[in-house]
Amino acid sequence: MFAYLVKRLLSGVVVVFLVSLSIFLLFWFGPSSPAQPICDRDTSNRCTPERLANFEENLGYNNPWYTEYGTFVKGVFVGREIQFGSTKKFDCPAPCLGYSYRTKTPVFEEMKERMPATFSVALGGAALYLVLGIPIGVAAARRRGTVADKALVSSFLVLSSVPYYLFALLTWLFLTVQWEIPLFAETGYFSFTENPAKWFSGLLLAWIALGIFGCTQYTRYARGSMVEALSEDYIRTAKAKGLAQSKVVYKHGLRAALVPVVTIFGIDFGTLLAGTIFTERIFDIDGIGFWSLQAVNGRDLPVVSATALFSAIVLIFSNLIVDLIYSVLDPRVRLS
Amino acid sequence: MSAQTAGPETLGHLSEEPPAPDPSSKDAKAIAGKSPMQIALGRLMKDKIAVVCAIVALFFVIIAVFAGVIAGLFGVTLDPGRPSQVLDFSTQLPKVGPPNNGFDPEHPFGIAPQTGADNLAHWLYGCRTSLIIAGSATLVASVVGVVMGLLAGFLGGIVDKIISFVIDFFLTVPFLLAALTIAPIINDRFALYESYPTIQRWSLIAILAIFGWMGLARLVRGEVLSLREREFVQAARVIGMPTHRILIKELLPNLAAPIVVSVSLTLPAFVALEAGLAFLGIGVTSGASWGQTVSDAVPWFDKYALYLWEPLLGIVLLVLSLNLLGDAIRDAMDPKTRR
Repeated sequence: MFAYLVKRLLSGVVVVFLVSLSIFLLFWFGPSSPAQPICDRDTSNRCTPERLANFEENLGYNNPWYTEYGTFVKGVFVGREIQFGSTKKFDCPAPCLGYSYRTKTPVFEEMKERMPATFSVALGGAALYLVLGIPIGVAAARRRGTVADKALVSSFLVLSSVPYYLFALLTWLFLTVQWEIPLFAETGYFSFTENPAKWFSGLLLAWIALGIFGCTQYTRYARGSMVEALSEDYIRTAKAKGLAQSKVVYKHGLRAALVPVVTIFGIDFGTLLAGTIFTERIFDIDGIGFWSLQAVNGRDLPVVSATALFSAIVLIFSNLIVDLIYSVLDPRVRLS
Repeated sequence: MSAQTAGPETLGHLSEEPPAPDPSSKDAKAIAGKSPMQIALGRLMKDKIAVVCAIVALFFVIIAVFAGVIAGLFGVTLDPGRPSQVLDFSTQLPKVGPPNNGFDPEHPFGIAPQTGADNLAHWLYGCRTSLIIAGSATLVASVVGVVMGLLAGFLGGIVDKIISFVIDFFLTVPFLLAALTIAPIINDRFALYESYPTIQRWSLIAILAIFGWMGLARLVRGEVLSLREREFVQAARVIGMPTHRILIKELLPNLAAPIVVSVSLTLPAFVALEAGLAFLGIGVTSGASWGQTVSDAVPWFDKYALYLWEPLLGIVLLVLSLNLLGDAIRDAMDPKTRR
């Protein structure tokens, strides 16, 4: 177990390194100078070749890429100084992911500010996946073959075939814009510690949209694995020895059926944490996803690369945690 | 392999097909052999939902192919409109046609607010954009996926290790963020070029394909791992068939089912992604695109809902029909399901 953990952690670190290197090289060898956006911004679009050369010099783009990548990595661990233009020098403490071109603040500080929003969205949405998906799936599995089951399965198939962002957009347009339901009047992120009620009502619609759309998938998984579990021999035994129906279904059946659902849930939760771009854009939530979208439109390269790196790290570690949990839940799985 | 096909006269018959019926027997016609593809097609034709979805999808393909002709028939063009003449100055809403003035035969789908451009022309060409990008990306992604999967599965060893690592690596990179990262690079470089719209489309196809091939590659690799131990592959090796010939002539035909299923489910995913990226403003930004029109239409929803519904229904209908068709194809291809 311990050896497996070390091995997985090492390979995770290698992948994070590769991701950060590819992002770095993408900007470095990309078709335009990486200093162009900040030069355009700081000179209000009057970026002459001399000024561009000045920015390139100060930002270190004249050095070979490997020394600069070394500086970047060193900055992540011990911090460094960043110079924009000719005079301004900024101190960037560890973990230094660079300075935002637009706001001239450390990228990591901004990221910390936006994390609670993305985390709130992901937590609420993912909770609804399970709260809605599993009971509906179990109920459908128990009534397998009935009209209700068939209607549910086919309507969920249709719903999950619609692109998510259109579903979320229509939810917002109808509930907030058209019908002006007071509960959903102001979507967005408000600090939980300042005003919990506002936090809740601001995010509620995003959770509902995420939850309803995502639960279709969980209903399908839960139904499938429940149908399988209910046809096992030990269920027949449990029924034969006269156990109550609810006990057979929930204690014996559901427990076995949940294992595959938990794995998928872990990966989905990681994906949500890594960036809920559409949700944040549609419901005006100022989280990591919305921030990266703004950074792209504002050509804020340090922020773009930081968000990409962040989501890669989240995904890698959520996969690792899922594998570990899986081995605990299912004793047949041996990690090696 | 069943006892029937093991006979000496069926030596040339190494696939899963049943042996040809004896022509002299009376009921030869009744037990005519069918290839797996024919069986699947037969099952698909009996599936009403699949037939309806195929017709809807075909309708969109025809629109995409003949977008120019259809636009010409209605007398509409992609040209920027004349906002000062067709729009109300204070509200920016069109003076003719929907939402306030009923149907206008010159602009069957109405006119866009603010720009005064024709909605029908944008809708028709948007369909073309969507299907061209999604179709080409699906093609590229599938070819790359099949080639990578074949190589990894058949050659094994170090090649397999490298390709498997690349697959895992690409799977950890979230698609949307990758697209977000690459978009500013391309925009910065080519924004002032005359051929910018074309470059943008090509780069979009490339991004979709680069992050869309891994699933199929994994699937093909797994299939090849089991197929390469089968007798017909060993026989081909023994008679000295070169590797590329074994891959193409022996293995590929046996992979038809997973490839067809993967293609039919990748296409709707790419249509949805293309529109989604355009909606976020990082996909097609110049020229007609449904996703872009949806994004433009959101602020007008309470005054001019039709403007939003047109592209939105286009995306939903196309994605939905392709998705359901893909599901039906998967069921038809799977010998285990019985309908």
